[in-house]
Amino acid sequence: MQSNHWKKFITACIAVLGIVIGWQLVEPQQASADEPTYTFATNNTFEPFEIQDSKGGYSGKNPGIEIEILKKIAKHEHFKYELKPMSFNGDLQALESGQVDAVIAGMSVTDERKQKYDFSTPYYTDGVMMAVAKNSKITSMKQLKGKTVSAKSGTSAALFLKKNQKKYGYKIKYFDSSNTMWNDVKIGNTAATFDDGPVLQYGIKEGVPLKIVTKKPIDAQPVAVGFQKGKNLELQKKINDGIEWLNKTGQMKQIIDKYTKGNKTAKNSAADRTIMGLLKTNRAALLRGLWMTIELTIVGIIFAMIFGIILGVLGIMNNKLAKGVSSVLIYIFRGIPMIVLAFFIYMGLPNVLGHKVPLFLAGVLTLTFDEGAYIGAIVKGGFEAVDKGQWEAARSLGLPYGKALLQVIAPQGFKLMVPSLVNQFIITLKDTSILSAIGVMELTQTGTVIISQNMEGFKMWLIIGVIYIIIITLLTWLSNYVQKRMA
Amino acid sequence: MDKRYKVQVKDLHKSYGSNEVLKGINLNVKPNEVVCMIGPSGSGKSTFLRCINKLEEPNSGHVYVDGYDIADPQVDINKVRQNIGMVFQHFNLFPNMTVLQNITLAPVQLGKMSKEEAKKAAYHYLDLVGLREKADANPSKLSGGQQQRVAIARALAMKPDVMLFDEPTSALDPEMVGDVLEVMKNLAKQGMTMIVVTHEMGFAKQVADRVVFFHDGDIREQGTPEEVFDHPQHEDTKNFLDKVLNV
Repeated sequence: MQSNHWKKFITACIAVLGIVIGWQLVEPQQASADEPTYTFATNNTFEPFEIQDSKGGYSGKNPGIEIEILKKIAKHEHFKYELKPMSFNGDLQALESGQVDAVIAGMSVTDERKQKYDFSTPYYTDGVMMAVAKNSKITSMKQLKGKTVSAKSGTSAALFLKKNQKKYGYKIKYFDSSNTMWNDVKIGNTAATFDDGPVLQYGIKEGVPLKIVTKKPIDAQPVAVGFQKGKNLELQKKINDGIEWLNKTGQMKQIIDKYTKGNKTAKNSAADRTIMGLLKTNRAALLRGLWMTIELTIVGIIFAMIFGIILGVLGIMNNKLAKGVSSVLIYIFRGIPMIVLAFFIYMGLPNVLGHKVPLFLAGVLTLTFDEGAYIGAIVKGGFEAVDKGQWEAARSLGLPYGKALLQVIAPQGFKLMVPSLVNQFIITLKDTSILSAIGVMELTQTGTVIISQNMEGFKMWLIIGVIYIIIITLLTWLSNYVQKRMA
Repeated sequence: MDKRYKVQVKDLHKSYGSNEVLKGINLNVKPNEVVCMIGPSGSGKSTFLRCINKLEEPNSGHVYVDGYDIADPQVDINKVRQNIGMVFQHFNLFPNMTVLQNITLAPVQLGKMSKEEAKKAAYHYLDLVGLREKADANPSKLSGGQQQRVAIARALAMKPDVMLFDEPTSALDPEMVGDVLEVMKNLAKQGMTMIVVTHEMGFAKQVADRVVFFHDGDIREQGTPEEVFDHPQHEDTKNFLDKVLNV
């Protein structure tokens, strides 16, 4: 009976595993017909350059200046592209590690960056502007002494602030997305924010309660597509040819004017901003995010269990080397913050491996190692908690170590572990939100993206929080049911 | 290795750190012989018993069972253990299995019997210990005495040539002791080779072919029950018997 249950469980695990791996293998192939596919890192909150629709994609009518440019060039130059929306810092790291072929994210061309990256022909000139809260009395940088100002890390606004910090005597706070940064000004935590002019202009046009106090853009710089230095020359040529074509045919000006002049991009400003309304508008995106969270949780838990059981079994073996390996691995992976592990796997490993780690795989690996280490400690403790007499009785009958473990010790140990394991599964579910840092479009990241469009932070985070509570409640119910059945 | 003996122990030493618990034990057990080991707690008799099937690893010396030296790393200890049944003070039944599953587990897992054969054998041994009707019960539902009888049936199901008993009645309520001893007596009558660590002097007197008195990690005295109980030679033996018999 008992062993039958295990067999069924293991078969189910292998089946899920097979499906996931199969799906991972098949997916990229769908995209590669006869035209080459390039991956572009982009920014998820960078209006008017990138404007995600309510599903978190760029298939709407107004996907932003750069997306429209890219779309036209791709069609004209016969290639396909895949977009990876991340924070700007993430974009740069992804480019350096070869996770993506190029960055198209309102990237200004600076001398410093030119040493590190190749750039396409610029298609826009962008300058940093300073904005303050609507009711603020600050009008110039001279009034910023002792105050806190903000910029997105890695942007030219950040470089500008760093360069002039001594001169004006302000403190700098760095953010990852415009939306959170602007909100910080709105609620009065920062006195002024420095961001790209068009981004600010567009945001204010869309209802952000800030005002621009700079008359002329500071440090005006050209904007272009960035590439890894000396690599992807073929793509560079295609992009440059495309830009030249767009300039020649006047399409470039058309696209840019569409987003910076007049009122053509006005979104559904009269949209329903109640919680029900927000749910309705963002239903598809939220469901997709929720599904990704569930998928990550299930696949993550399965692999973490496998890794954890291996660690646990090694940990109780009568072998110093096995025990040592187990404790060291548990020590390392429990000791590393999960976000660092995620960055290491997604952005660090490619430098060594020489090829990119797919996003979903990176997420699953992170969960496997981090949660697996905790599960390893639980499994080890559970096995050790089984009465020593059980080992002796089993071994004295002539059962070898493995059979004694599998038939006698493991079933009793797992029963003891169930409450701790359930707790770990719930933590795993919550920990998937950390993977938003590397751009996995799970529930939390979906929330960030939606809020970047509608600025409804309070209501959206409330909705997201409640969704988490609901699925965790369901998971708890399920595990209580399983525990009752097992008892 | 002497072919006449079922179990032969030569100069067995065992220490825990600097504490030497067995100080060079020699003991030969003939086929069909019942040997009872008595002595104060901490005298090393249980450790000695556990060395015979290598639940404790001896530091030096030899233990031959059926001609195999269990101290020899070349010898497959799992094979040797299949021929040595062991019964523990705390029964150690597997709580995740029924009584029947407890008994059939090893014979089936080790390929000694088919599932059907093992089940038949299990019922046979349950009959022997008088617990056929408990076959489908969970061990936790049984009394201590019943659990110990199941444990004996479990050990017998592997058809061992030697049975080791480690204080089999010490954890039992007094009224349960009789049933367990009865089962052991019947086993002895049927010619099973048995080594029994016990505090039941009456059982030792009645059933043992030989009584071995352990004291301070050594065998102080051994002989027939009459010799040891009625005419003890050694001062330590006299002291011990005075204490346990004249309560």
